Amino acid sequence: MGKLFKTNFSTAVIVLIPACIGINYIGKLFAQVLKLPLWLDCIGTCIGAILGGPIIGGICGAANNLIYGFTTGDNITLVYALTSLFIGVSVGVMARLGFMESFPKAMITACVGGLAAVIVSTPLNIIYWGGQTGNVWGDAVFAATQASNLPVWLGSLLDELVVDVPDKLITGVIVYLIVSKLPEKLTSLYDANAVVESLD
Amino acid sequence: MSLIEIKNLKYRYPGTTELALDDISLNIEKGQFIGIAGENGAGKSTLSQALLGLIPQFYKGAYGGSVIVDGLSAKTAPVAELCRKAGLVFQNPFNQLSGAKDTVYDEVGFGLQNLGIEPAEIHARVEEVLKRFGIWEYRDRNPFDLSGGQLQRVAIASVLAMNPDILILDEPTSQLDPAGSEEVFHTVDELTETGITIVMIEQKIEKLAEYCDRIMLMHHGKLIDFDTPEKIFSRDDLMEYGVVPPVYTEFARRNDLRLPDGNYPVSRKKLLELIKTGNADRKKLISSLEKNTGLETGVPGESTGEKPGSTEGAVSDTSLSLVSSDRTFTVEDLHFSYIEGQEIFKGIDLSLDRRPTAIIGQNGAGKTTLVRILKGLLKPDSGRLTFRGQDIASKTVAELAGRVGYVFQNPDDQIFKYNVLDEVMFGPLNIGMTREEAETRAHEALKTVGLDGVSRKNPYDLELSDRKMVAIASVLAMDTDVIILDEPTIAQDYKGREKIREIIRDLSSKGKLVIAILHDMDFVSKSFERVIAMAHGEILADGTPDEIFRNHQVLDKAALTSPHLVSLMEELENDLEGIE
Amino acid sequence: MKSISLYSDNGSWLVKLHPFSKMFYLVAAILIPLISGRLFMFVITILVSICMLGSARMLKKALPLIAFSFTIILTIFLIQGIFYKDNDSLLLSLGPVNFYREGLLYSAHIGFNILNMLLSFSILVLSTSPSELVEELEKKGFSPKFGYIINSVFQIVPEMMGTMHTISDAQRSRGMETEGKLMTRIKAFLPLISPVVMSALTSTRERAIALEVRGFGSKVKKTYLYSHPYSTADQTMKWVSILCLLAVIILRATGIL
Repeated sequence: MGKLFKTNFSTAVIVLIPACIGINYIGKLFAQVLKLPLWLDCIGTCIGAILGGPIIGGICGAANNLIYGFTTGDNITLVYALTSLFIGVSVGVMARLGFMESFPKAMITACVGGLAAVIVSTPLNIIYWGGQTGNVWGDAVFAATQASNLPVWLGSLLDELVVDVPDKLITGVIVYLIVSKLPEKLTSLYDANAVVESLD
Repeated sequence: MSLIEIKNLKYRYPGTTELALDDISLNIEKGQFIGIAGENGAGKSTLSQALLGLIPQFYKGAYGGSVIVDGLSAKTAPVAELCRKAGLVFQNPFNQLSGAKDTVYDEVGFGLQNLGIEPAEIHARVEEVLKRFGIWEYRDRNPFDLSGGQLQRVAIASVLAMNPDILILDEPTSQLDPAGSEEVFHTVDELTETGITIVMIEQKIEKLAEYCDRIMLMHHGKLIDFDTPEKIFSRDDLMEYGVVPPVYTEFARRNDLRLPDGNYPVSRKKLLELIKTGNADRKKLISSLEKNTGLETGVPGESTGEKPGSTEGAVSDTSLSLVSSDRTFTVEDLHFSYIEGQEIFKGIDLSLDRRPTAIIGQNGAGKTTLVRILKGLLKPDSGRLTFRGQDIASKTVAELAGRVGYVFQNPDDQIFKYNVLDEVMFGPLNIGMTREEAETRAHEALKTVGLDGVSRKNPYDLELSDRKMVAIASVLAMDTDVIILDEPTIAQDYKGREKIREIIRDLSSKGKLVIAILHDMDFVSKSFERVIAMAHGEILADGTPDEIFRNHQVLDKAALTSPHLVSLMEELENDLEGIE
Repeated sequence: MKSISLYSDNGSWLVKLHPFSKMFYLVAAILIPLISGRLFMFVITILVSICMLGSARMLKKALPLIAFSFTIILTIFLIQGIFYKDNDSLLLSLGPVNFYREGLLYSAHIGFNILNMLLSFSILVLSTSPSELVEELEKKGFSPKFGYIINSVFQIVPEMMGTMHTISDAQRSRGMETEGKLMTRIKAFLPLISPVVMSALTSTRERAIALEVRGFGSKVKKTYLYSHPYSTADQTMKWVSILCLLAVIILRATGIL
């Protein structure tokens, strides 16, 4: 257990975090520029989690929402800091368990990340928005469930599921493609277990 | 005891099998100016980072031997301690900003804050270094808004504010334009007088020769030689290590001008002194220079006078007379602005043929803007722009992709594939080539840049200089009629520059037009038939390299310096005139 | 360089306040109506925030922040007004659609809460320099490493947005389409994002070196270049916020509210 969460807080890792937060932002921006019906706003969090481990992933996620929430005035994202935190942690844990080694495994990691997002977001949606997500398709699902008298939590869960899982799957594909080609000279900087070998 | 003592230093990066540093031993004394020369991958940067403990503490990997800096072991003493002894300034001006400070003033104070120095002392030291390096006026600016040259001075100031005994400069000017480089070297000039120990890595070999007391010659991680610049650059086997001697040394060797100790002079000053004291035959030397630079001769003074075709307005006359099939781009009365009301181009006229053409000028002269308009990335506000008689002002970038290729300055702005071959095939496939055709073209292009052997490798495992070659290949493979190169020689060592020269020659022999933006004047004078000098959005002059580089009016206006040999030749000519 | 922070120094009294006083207000303004559970309390805090923004000439800049939440508030009114689980007393009918009092009241709570949060946050966000906030937090024991992360985001994002443009140009130069069918656009995403990510990650190595050689890893206690003493206005704001919050808690606990 301790090994799973072992974290290296070296300068390289500290610098990695803002870079990942920046990547989140750029991912979201490119998705908007290309008019994609997806968010793609947690690519950086996932990369941080894979390179630095679950703790770093969690920090990337939470800090991402806290920073943008506190400074760009978009404080709705603030509430979802918890969601981002859990996405980062779950992806980090999966990566440490070896679930980033091949494409199918990476897809499982993406699903786990997506489910973590759904599980944490649903109660937040209910508390904050009365169950909605603000996404047109998701909210249409929510309205339908409410019209047919299903409980709020179920409607909200479905609402979130429709939105998050496809988004996280695509994110997973992109992250896998990028991370698998990082040179070792770079990844070893973030490795919590790296030691200096002796040549004497 | 020496200030720096290196004993049997060995190092290997994680995930690699070859030693980056292989059994290096040497001592550096206080107050010396040490240069490190060698081709890309020789281990120069690795060695400089070993002095600060970044190797091995930051990179990990495998380490052997010892580095002692002023009594501290670089293997075990924390980098935060070692950085009080030695400061490091490296290539990329942007990446060495702390990235956390809004103003130049705070940026310079950042290191001092980390060391826990009293605020009053920090304010005093920051003010002192900012004033010393002439950047006091920028103190309230955001560092990210400064030019590369200004930033490098901020970087040097930030490090020197921490009062180190040693300053390590790792190719500090490699990513700057000539004016920026001059700014930095001017700062280095001042530093040499303070008695601080300096270790400098530099590809501009003439500068290395000018400053250094001693030079380390490195190759494949080994220290080949550590001696005076004269001895190092007079070595017969120098080129085998991928290092070209300074042009002055080469010139002296060709004309057998030796110093009393049998070595050749390495700086212009020494060379001229030698010529004067030895009373060598100037006329013979000048004609030898002419042969070598390919420049036309003339009685001094004449060539700098007004010549048709060398000033604006007369520019297109010469090219208009060419056969129309040779004409590629024609630009008439081009106006362009990024922000409405602030015109960059106020009516440019230009006609290009098939001669390889270099565009020179300072940053901000409008070079990149001009080629981006030719490429269709930017749309002119008004004016006519034709390619082979066809109006292209309204064409989209994708439509032009198959005809005009553009290699961006930073290869990392485009590389995204797993392996080199796929990366190079991306463009050809986009413009509609079949898979087989694209693959053949890609292999051909990789052969041209000398990278076919690594076509299965991950581009990110390659050095920056090779990644630049991948980017060039990825455009070559598209087999376009025009190839635009933005700063192709940056980060290239001697071999790389020669390769690019070959590519340019090869392309133009196939009838393709090569346009390049360049800051390396020596390279321009050797590789191009036509040179366009720009400043402030205007074309100052357009002609052969000889016409441009001998036209001091234009060079001054564009704030450029002539190639080393041209200025040497002029000096000899003046000297000759003086004697006669 | 275009900053992503909304802060600008307009010289007003809010800008001059210590960041912490604004944070005290922020916490009080959000918690007071929630603890009291009354709708009119939301109205009070919202009005106070509006007055503060107005007197600091920042209301105009706060509007776009609030505006985008209106669509979602509207859909909440629609969905909850019609479908809320406790809907009982009919308020009005528009054709076949019936709106109920309970649902609308519930929506009003959500809507006012969002509006209240947005406004009180805008006070902090619009009038406080992020780096000053971070520096003050660090002085109170917040980790300088986390402080660095926050400051760095503000420098890195605009820089990355700059490269975004170049990358898009570079890939289009190689014939890549960025418009057209959904599949074309999805395919364009990787060639665009990948270089940003790779160069962001590779430059972390150089940036980390730059930090190391500037003593970032030093164990010595950091010093600070500037100080921002508490003024009388700061004291007033801090204590009024704390006392109001306490008062509401006491009133609520004793059942008066």
